[in-house]
Amino acid sequence: MSYPRRRFPLGWFLLLAGAALLAAGSAAISIGDVRIPLPAILKVLGRQIFGLDLTVDPIREGIVWHYRLSRAVVAAAAGGALALCGCVLQALLRNPLAEPYLLGIAAGASTGAVMVIILGVGAGAVSLTLGAFGGAAAAFGLVALLATGTGGGTERIILAGIAGSQLFNAATSFIVTTSASAEQTRGIMFWLLGSLGGIRWPDAGLAVPVVLICGLLCLRRARALDAFAFGEDAAAALGIETGKVRVELFAITAFLTAAMVSLIGAVGFVGLVVPHATRFLVGPGHERLIPATVLAGAVFMVGADVLSRTVVPGQVLPIGVVTALFGAPAFVAILWRSRRTS
Amino acid sequence: MTKYIPVAVGGLSLLMAAGLAFPALAQVGGAAVTIENCGRTLEFDEAPERIVSIGQGTTEILLSLGLADRIAGTATWVSDLPGELAEAGANLPRIAENTPGFEAVVGTRPDMVAVQWINDIGPEQGRVGTFAQFEDFGIPVYVSPAECAKSEFGAASGDGARSEAWSSDLLYREVAELADIGGVPSEGEALIADSREREAAAARDAEALAAEEISVVYWFSSPEIDGEAWLAGGYGAPQWISNVIGLRNVVDSHEEWPLVGWETIADHDPDVIVLGTMKRRNQPADNVALKREFLETDPLTSQMTAVHDGRLVELDAHAMNPTLRAIDGVARLAEAISALGLTR
Repeated sequence: MSYPRRRFPLGWFLLLAGAALLAAGSAAISIGDVRIPLPAILKVLGRQIFGLDLTVDPIREGIVWHYRLSRAVVAAAAGGALALCGCVLQALLRNPLAEPYLLGIAAGASTGAVMVIILGVGAGAVSLTLGAFGGAAAAFGLVALLATGTGGGTERIILAGIAGSQLFNAATSFIVTTSASAEQTRGIMFWLLGSLGGIRWPDAGLAVPVVLICGLLCLRRARALDAFAFGEDAAAALGIETGKVRVELFAITAFLTAAMVSLIGAVGFVGLVVPHATRFLVGPGHERLIPATVLAGAVFMVGADVLSRTVVPGQVLPIGVVTALFGAPAFVAILWRSRRTS
Repeated sequence: MTKYIPVAVGGLSLLMAAGLAFPALAQVGGAAVTIENCGRTLEFDEAPERIVSIGQGTTEILLSLGLADRIAGTATWVSDLPGELAEAGANLPRIAENTPGFEAVVGTRPDMVAVQWINDIGPEQGRVGTFAQFEDFGIPVYVSPAECAKSEFGAASGDGARSEAWSSDLLYREVAELADIGGVPSEGEALIADSREREAAAARDAEALAAEEISVVYWFSSPEIDGEAWLAGGYGAPQWISNVIGLRNVVDSHEEWPLVGWETIADHDPDVIVLGTMKRRNQPADNVALKREFLETDPLTSQMTAVHDGRLVELDAHAMNPTLRAIDGVARLAEAISALGLTR
């Protein structure tokens, strides 16, 4: 795919995307099953953020601060993380379809997390993330092995990814449906389509630092990612230690995917659509693309979460349904528009 | 419970139990029984000898009617049998703890299947099978009359919605019909008389509560412990219990067990939260200890009045379904709520 020459200045893009994130976040904390008037929401924010001495109904405060805002923050972090993964994988693999969901990494992370729960190794979000990381790394390994074993090539890795994700999703379903005690694990729908239902502040404490640190680590490799876009040989010719950088970036994407899957389940399409849309707007240079993609992913996911709670009144759709439902047409539109320039 | 049963009624049921021999003998003549059930007509030329019962509520009615030796198989268990039925039901064959397979049911060669939930065996589809599938094998399927009025089995709530409110009359109809089919009509009459009396006694007991408006929610379980919860809707058995005791169920959905977010529940801030207890463990919040832990540790729910003031009441989840135990539920809940000191 080629991109238009005239690009959005990065500063403007970040400013607009930041404003969009603020708007989406405001919608996320204002909209819900219960109508809470704006003054009450502002009072909660004033009390919690600026420590103002305002009287607020503790239940309204609980809803806005502990449920809606923590959920919006984790949605933003997860959206940013998944979009970043897609952006990095697309460059590393030189494949426009590469993303954690399609490559089976998210499915592997689900299997890993479910196994940690069922085997009862450790407890809490950290061991869950480590289990998910193990699963993600295993899925990565399997897909790489399948792809290179069958002769390599960019389309092979996608085929291998599809086989891998089917395998790991089946493994997750098998473990969840046959496990004796359902109260230990979440439902199959969570692991296959994702959910922001049970999110609270401690989850944000994991999601936000992870996406910020991994984002900076990827940004440090922005030039290498640019070089990878021209092929591994070209990158090596530019003096980049391709093997080392490749392993490092694969590990970062596997870890990011694992952390997000352990928090919100496997959500597709964000990693595929958002990097392409952003590349279209700010261009393919990764120094610009990485911060822009993370921000755009955050906006997309918070918006998707708002939609998931409002499309069907009184019912919350799985977040993965919304990202695909709105992501797929958006993706088609991007492809359609790029048709003239290619 | 038994302390509510006046001695006269207890004596009456004893007399009826003693007189059981006569109707049982009368049945040998083969008076055919015809019953309208969920839009179909069921005809029994003689009392079934091998009944498969799917759903613990149905199983308990059959046991209460003294039909234990006619039960060829059971399935879909929620909890242990109550003390008074424990002995009679000690050796019941279990086809499955949860939903049985079609072949497993037919394989027991029943001459009748009695089912508690229409989404196990229904007109168009069912987890076990359809009416037509069982008809192919010549097996009549009797469905709890409480279920015939249900519709809208959406993905979010597998328990469907009701078009009219449930009351114990529907339960008594089921008891009477099963007693007729089983050839023990007088046992049915005795059970109904006994239940009606317990119901009335519990209502009398709860009169002091009705003086004050007490709002309540009934939490059965949840598909995710810290996600949305299945609460009793406005037409199910818990609504009927609330009406008898004089409580206000804050949920008015016509769905049997609508999935409700804690935002909404906290906003209603009910005076009392009734927590379902059960032996079943196939949903994350089936365990009542986990329900309590969530309510007490979550930053939102811990702010709710009922949690704050320790007004969490445990009730057998089975009593929240339209079963004989709902009758016990009235007395249990009335007792628990007056123990909280919520009377005027």
